[in-house]
Amino acid sequence: MSARGLLFRHESVLALLLVLTLAVLAQQSDKFFTMANMLNQGRLMAEVGIIALAMTFVIVTAGIDLSVGSILGLVAIVMGVLWQKAGLPLPVAIGLGVVLGCIAGFANGFIITKFGVPPLITTLGTLALYRGLAEGISQARSVRGYPDWFFTLGQGELWGIPTQLWIFLLLAIITAVILGLTPFGRATYAIGSNSIAAEFSGIPVRNSYLIIYTLSGLFSAIAAVIFVSRVSTTRSDMGTGLELDVITAVVLGGSSIFGGKGTIIGTLLGLTLMQALKNGLSLAGVKGDGTIVMIGVVLIGALILSNLFQKKGDG
Amino acid sequence: MLKKFLLTAAALSMVAGSGWAQWTGGDDLPTNPLACDGSPGSVAAKPYDGGSPSNAPNRKGKSITVVDVPKLIGIGYFNATSKGITDAAKELGNVSASTDGPTEANIDDQITFIDNYITSGVDGILFAANDPVAIAPVLKKALSKGINVVGYDANSQPDARQWFVNQAEFNGIAKALVDSMVAEVGANAGIAIVTSTFTTPNQARWIAEMSAYASKCHPNLKFLETVEAQEDNILSFNQATTLINKYGDDLDGIFGMTSVATPASAEAVTQAGECGKIAIVGLATPNAMKPYVATNCVKSVVLWNPVDLGYAAMHVLRAVADGNLKPGAKSVKAGKLGELQIINGSEILLGAPYVFDKGNINGFDF
Repeated sequence: MSARGLLFRHESVLALLLVLTLAVLAQQSDKFFTMANMLNQGRLMAEVGIIALAMTFVIVTAGIDLSVGSILGLVAIVMGVLWQKAGLPLPVAIGLGVVLGCIAGFANGFIITKFGVPPLITTLGTLALYRGLAEGISQARSVRGYPDWFFTLGQGELWGIPTQLWIFLLLAIITAVILGLTPFGRATYAIGSNSIAAEFSGIPVRNSYLIIYTLSGLFSAIAAVIFVSRVSTTRSDMGTGLELDVITAVVLGGSSIFGGKGTIIGTLLGLTLMQALKNGLSLAGVKGDGTIVMIGVVLIGALILSNLFQKKGDG
Repeated sequence: MLKKFLLTAAALSMVAGSGWAQWTGGDDLPTNPLACDGSPGSVAAKPYDGGSPSNAPNRKGKSITVVDVPKLIGIGYFNATSKGITDAAKELGNVSASTDGPTEANIDDQITFIDNYITSGVDGILFAANDPVAIAPVLKKALSKGINVVGYDANSQPDARQWFVNQAEFNGIAKALVDSMVAEVGANAGIAIVTSTFTTPNQARWIAEMSAYASKCHPNLKFLETVEAQEDNILSFNQATTLINKYGDDLDGIFGMTSVATPASAEAVTQAGECGKIAIVGLATPNAMKPYVATNCVKSVVLWNPVDLGYAAMHVLRAVADGNLKPGAKSVKAGKLGELQIINGSEILLGAPYVFDKGNINGFDF
C-alpha cells in the first residue's frame, strides 16, 4: 500500500498518540518511565490483554462477547472449588477450569449460530448466567491457601520479565499470525464484512463463529488462572466489569463494531495506551475518577481522529 | 469431551451439597463470644504478628506523604474516616495525607490503586481492605519497598501490615447488635441479615461472632437468611424488600451490617409499611439514620466514631514512621484520644461500640 495509506491507518495514528502520551506522562512523573514500572504495568495488563486478543476476533466478525468477565469469575471459582472442596490436584483443577471456559464460550457460539440470537443479547444473558453460577457454586465464600508454586504464574518472573507477560506475548504472536496470515483469519474478516456473501462463498460461517466464541471462552479461562495466581485468592465477583475494559482496548485499537476491520497490533496499541493512561495519570496525581474521564476522552478522540483520516468509502 | 463434562458436573454437584456455617455470611475463624450478662471478656495476650517493612528510611520527625485507600470512596462512613485522617494530619503538622480509592467496593480496583501509589513512592499507606487475602500480596510489596502500612476498619492478613486499628472488639459489636435486636423483638424472633459480601473481612467476622453469641445467650433466635448488598444503596434496598416479601410475618428483625445496608433496609421497611412490626438494628452513621429514628422506625443504631477511627489510624502511622511504636508495645498514644490499648498481637483497639438512639443521635453530625 502507498506510504500515505500506511501513515494514515488507524494503527499509525494510534501509535503516534501512544508515543505522545508516554512522553507527556513521563514528563509528569519521573517514576513512570522506569523499567520496574513498565514491567509491573505489563504484569497488570496481561489478563485484560489476553482476553482482548480473542475479543479482536469476535469484534472483527461484527459480534461481541459481554460474558468474558463472568466466564473469568466462573472459571476462577470452579478451579478453586474443585481444588479445595473436591480435593482434586491443582493442575487437574486448572485443566478442568480451562475446559469449562471453552464450554462456556462454545455455549455462547451455539446459541448465536443455532438459534440466531444476536451476540449482544446472547452474551448479555450469559453474563448474568455465568456470574450467577459462580455465586451459587461458591456460596459467596472465597477460596484461599493455594500452594506457593502456583503463585509464580501471577507474581513470579522469568529472566526478569513477569511470567504472565511471556504468556501474553506468546498468545499475541500466535493470534496475530492466525488473524493476519492464515485462511481462517481471512475468513474472519470476510464474515465480518458481509456474512451472507461469506456464506455463499463457501466459507464455513457457522463453524467459524463457534470456534471464535470458544476461543473467547478459552482465553477468558487462561486469564482467570493468571488472575487467581496474582491475587492469591478466588472470589466469585472477580472480573466484574472486565468486559468493558477489554472492549475499549479492542475498539480503541481500530476494530470496527460493524465488523471487517481490526488487527491484533491495533488491539495491543490500544491496550498499552489505556494502561499507560491509567498508570501515568495516577502517578501524576490525578484521582481515580479523573482517570476514567481521560480514558473516555482519549477513546472518543482517537476514533474521531482516525475517522477524519480515512478516505471516504474505503474498507 | 463428554467424560470431562460429566466429571465436572459430578464434582459441582458434590460441592453444592456441602453445608456451611450455622449463620451464613460468617468466616471460619474461631469465635470468642462475650458473657451474656455483660461482664467483660478475657483478652489473651498474643505475640506481635504484624509484618515489617524492609529497609524503611529513617522518617523520624520528617515530613511524610500518606495515602488512604478505603474500601470505596463516596459513602458517608469513609468520608468520615477520611475527615478523621485529615484532622490528624493537620494536627501533626508534618503529614500530607490524601484519600483515593475505587468508586465501588471492588478488590481488583483497590489493588490497582495501592499498586500505583507504591510506584509513586508514598511513605505510608492506610487501608480498609475489601478482601483480607487478595490485598495481602500488594501490601507485602509495599512493605518490601520500605513503606509503612497500617490498616483500619477492615483487616488484611496480619503479616501484610504493621498494625490494624480495630474500631471495637468483634465480639463487643456482636453482643451490642444482638442484645439491641432481642430488646426490640424478643428472644423468639426470626431475623435476617443484609451484609456487604460474604468475604468482606469485618462483616464476616461480626456475623460469625453474632452467631456464636446468639447460640450461647439467645438460642431461640431463628436465623432466616443472609443476603449480599455490596455497599450499594439500591441493591441494599432491593435485597431488604425481597426479604420482607419473602418471609412476610416470619421476619421480625433485619440486621444491617454496613453503613449503607442499614438506612436502605430502614427505607425498605418504611416503604413496605412495616415500621414497628419489623425491627432494624445495625451499623450506620447517625446522619443517615436520623430520619428513621425520628419516626421511631429504628430504635437503636450501633457504631463507633469513624472520624475517631481515621484520626487514630493516622496517629498510629505517624508513630510507626517515627519509630515510636514498636512490636511488643502494650499501648499507643493517639493524640486527643489518649492511650489506646493493643490487643491480639498487632491490633489497636479504638474503644467500645457506641449505641445511638433517639436521645443522643441529634448530637452527632457525620
